[in-house]
Amino acid sequence: MKGYLGEFEELVLLTIASLGENAYGVAIKEDIELRADRSISLGALHSTITRLEEKKFIRSWLGEPTQERGGRRKRFFELTHQGKVALHEIKALRDELWKLSKTTLTLAK
Amino acid sequence: MKTTPPVKPPRLADRFFKWYCNNASIEDLHGDLEELFFKNLEKMSVRRAKWRYWQHVLSLIFSYALRRRKERSAVHPFASSSVQFSMLLSYLKIGCRSLVRNKSYAIVNIGGLAISGAVGLIILLFIAQELTYDRHNANADRIYRLHFEHRYGENYAHMAATPAIAASALQQDFPEIESTTRFLDYGTYLVRPADSNESIKEEHVLWTDSTFFKIFSVNVLEGNATKALTHPYSVAISKQTARKYFGETSALGKSLVLDSRYHANVTAVFEDLPSTSHFHADILISLAGDWPAAREAQATVFSNNNFNTYVMLRPGADVQALEARLPRFLEKYNGPSKGGDFARLELMPLLDIHLHSQLNGELEANGSITYIYLFSTVAVFVLIIACINFMNLSTAQSTQRAREVGIRKVLGSQRANLVGQFLLESVIITGVGFTVALGLAGLLIPIFSNLLQKPLQLPLTEPGFYALLFGAALIVSVLAGAYPSFFLSGFKPVNVLKGQTTLSGRGGMLRGGLVVFQFVISIFLIVGAFTVTKQVAYIQNKKLGFEKDQVLLIKDAYALRPNSGVFKTEVEKMPGVRSATVSGFIPVDRGSDFPRRDRSFWREGTQASSDNLVNIQTWSVDVDYITTLNMNVIAGRGFSKEFPSDSIAVVLNKTSADRFGLGPDPIGKKIATFSGGRVPDFDHPIFYTVVGIVDDFHFSSLKEGIAPLGLFLGKSDGFVSVRFDGDPRQIIEGMEATWKRMAPGQPFQYSFLDYEFGRMYESEQRLARMFGIFAAFAVIIACVGLFALTAYTSQQRTKEIGIRKVLGASVASIVFLLSGEFTKLIVISFVVAAPLAWVGVRWWLESFTYKAEVGLMVYAAAGILVLVIAWLTTWYHSYRAASADPVKSIRTE
Repeated sequence: MKGYLGEFEELVLLTIASLGENAYGVAIKEDIELRADRSISLGALHSTITRLEEKKFIRSWLGEPTQERGGRRKRFFELTHQGKVALHEIKALRDELWKLSKTTLTLAK
Repeated sequence: MKTTPPVKPPRLADRFFKWYCNNASIEDLHGDLEELFFKNLEKMSVRRAKWRYWQHVLSLIFSYALRRRKERSAVHPFASSSVQFSMLLSYLKIGCRSLVRNKSYAIVNIGGLAISGAVGLIILLFIAQELTYDRHNANADRIYRLHFEHRYGENYAHMAATPAIAASALQQDFPEIESTTRFLDYGTYLVRPADSNESIKEEHVLWTDSTFFKIFSVNVLEGNATKALTHPYSVAISKQTARKYFGETSALGKSLVLDSRYHANVTAVFEDLPSTSHFHADILISLAGDWPAAREAQATVFSNNNFNTYVMLRPGADVQALEARLPRFLEKYNGPSKGGDFARLELMPLLDIHLHSQLNGELEANGSITYIYLFSTVAVFVLIIACINFMNLSTAQSTQRAREVGIRKVLGSQRANLVGQFLLESVIITGVGFTVALGLAGLLIPIFSNLLQKPLQLPLTEPGFYALLFGAALIVSVLAGAYPSFFLSGFKPVNVLKGQTTLSGRGGMLRGGLVVFQFVISIFLIVGAFTVTKQVAYIQNKKLGFEKDQVLLIKDAYALRPNSGVFKTEVEKMPGVRSATVSGFIPVDRGSDFPRRDRSFWREGTQASSDNLVNIQTWSVDVDYITTLNMNVIAGRGFSKEFPSDSIAVVLNKTSADRFGLGPDPIGKKIATFSGGRVPDFDHPIFYTVVGIVDDFHFSSLKEGIAPLGLFLGKSDGFVSVRFDGDPRQIIEGMEATWKRMAPGQPFQYSFLDYEFGRMYESEQRLARMFGIFAAFAVIIACVGLFALTAYTSQQRTKEIGIRKVLGASVASIVFLLSGEFTKLIVISFVVAAPLAWVGVRWWLESFTYKAEVGLMVYAAAGILVLVIAWLTTWYHSYRAASADPVKSIRTE
């Protein structure tokens, strides 16, 4: 398997995908914190983003300066083709494992 | 209306973040930080939001994201931390290589730093030890010693001793005083266990109160600290003493016999006092009971200043308020002062005693804060000389490094990188230098311990010591390396690569200035060493008013009792013995086992009052004293057996005759003193007839003048002094045999008067030797630096010398030319150093009443000495350069 994808990396990738046009640092952080109910530091998030970018799963560009954030530009992210492939691969692996599971994975009520 | 300023992210965190990120692109990260901060503000308090901001900043700083961005921002496209690290390695490698290539340069630098580092280290240890005196006492900050200063009539005294009653009176009048204790020093004792006949001389014996252990933190190993000294006739002894007399068995309850008279019970054994205590006692005798010392301690009159009094205040008590009430206290017990008289009590903190107290009646000779300052200055000077060597050599050597600097710059080195590189080299050299210094200090410490009479030790097990050493090395390396690294990194690549590497005139000026500085220090130290030596020699050869040579002293003659008279007669019969005398008093300060005592006298026919009382030292001597010591009788006669009335006669020294105002014909006049011994009784005076006047003789250190003194016939048997002719060995043997017969079991100890006399000036002699050593170090380091410097400058002028030779210059004229430059520098140094040394020397000599003449000769000698040494150092390289073949030197590029 080319380009191993960690759990947090997967989470970040999917969040970027779900945020669409508006995927930048703080938005990704808040979305993950909200959905996954875990607190993450800015350093950890950007490290992961950096790694994903180096693996060419995402690409980034700087937006236009606005009145917010002291006029500082935001860096937006977007999935690359490789990124989508990686997500597919990991999903396929999961599905396969789900199907193969000998223990009943349905949660008893 | 007050408007609150808008809340902003914490400024410090913001700045720190920007500073850390340097020029990496972090606009988006910074924006994220700020956005989060303002979002957080809506959810939480400002303080928490700021705290969060800090957390995020820190998380980013340690994050992979930022590391990558910083790497990408580096100038070089391939720059990364690993590249920076390999640059560091390269600097190290180049630094080591250039050291190996220029071995003499490396040796001079490292050697100089090692020597000065070792000297500095030893001085530091000495100072550290001096500063820890008495700090082992848990209550040190609450303990004070009472000092007494008074003047009445012509008598003035400032002393560390007070009347016996001061302690109890203080305790009674001042509730803020928790406890007091006293010491009485009655000199040495001959001590033996009750069941033995062999006595040993004990030097450190003090009489003290039972509160001793309450005030001073001394561990009691056996016995009860609070009760030990409450009983009469009890003694507490140190562990070492206990082992000496009783071996491994418990000393408690055993009996010691002091001077074959006092039988004392051992009630406690205490841990030996540390060397850093301002007093030392191996035996403490209780002041309770009815032995003479104890009776003196119970005196109720405010006179006889023989007790060292210590007070311990209650915690939190205000010592200033207490001191303010002391004048009234003194008036209450001592009566009011009249006319020009005054009396004053003061409290000196325990921790100040060792370095700040030099009074009469000290228990031991103390250290001096002046010497601390003096030695630290010397240490700094020596270190500076070594640093200057480093600066001079690195800049002089710069031609060799110039090309390297040029190439590095062309290849993209920034100035900061180059400064870093050269600083690193300086760190390497200092690091090696200090490591060698540590070893050198280890080798030198025994010598200095001996010289300073202090057991110094390298604290090799303490991590703090290494931290200190490391810090010092770092400071020195920056100090020494800062100028060269800026100088070297400042070369313009264009000039350098074109081959213009001649040193600028300014650099030469600076080097000259630094050399001058080095030699100013050297000359100063040499003049200091010469002066101290001269003063010590002066003191020892001064006409003293008695003859100190060819006099043997038998110590502890009281062990002979009651046979001392018989012993004396027998000794007088020995061949080679001219005369002998028995007396406890010799003209050597602290040399006697009998503490000196003052007594007040007045002239017969006048009423005793504070105006005409003269405090004179009363020395009881026998009839042969004046002849044996060869004192000069200037009027009347000395004591004689032929005049039985001499038992109430006195021989005065000239000073006291003048003080009493006895006029031109003093013989036959009478002086009076109170009777009643320890409790003065002025109504029934005792009269003494003046039978002779001796010329003044020095009986204290020459730091002091000559005090009034009277010789009385009496029995005090501290020494048998023997004036002899020729070789004393036979006489000593004979005397020892006689001693063994008359005082079996008592130690036979002898000495010579001139030796005892010389011991008075031990500290000055030590200072002379120390100064000599430091001066030698300073000169050596400076000269080694000069040696290396000449090597470089003569190398620089190779071509010039070649051309001069071709044009007909002689070797001699070229040598002269090259050393002439340094001669100029040394002449300048001399001009600067001489006045400085003059001031320093004057200041030191101030403390002596009798000063040696320090003529211009000393200065001239110091100047010429330095000049000759410097010539010899520069001569080698000058001569080599001058005698080189001009063909070769012109051809070199």
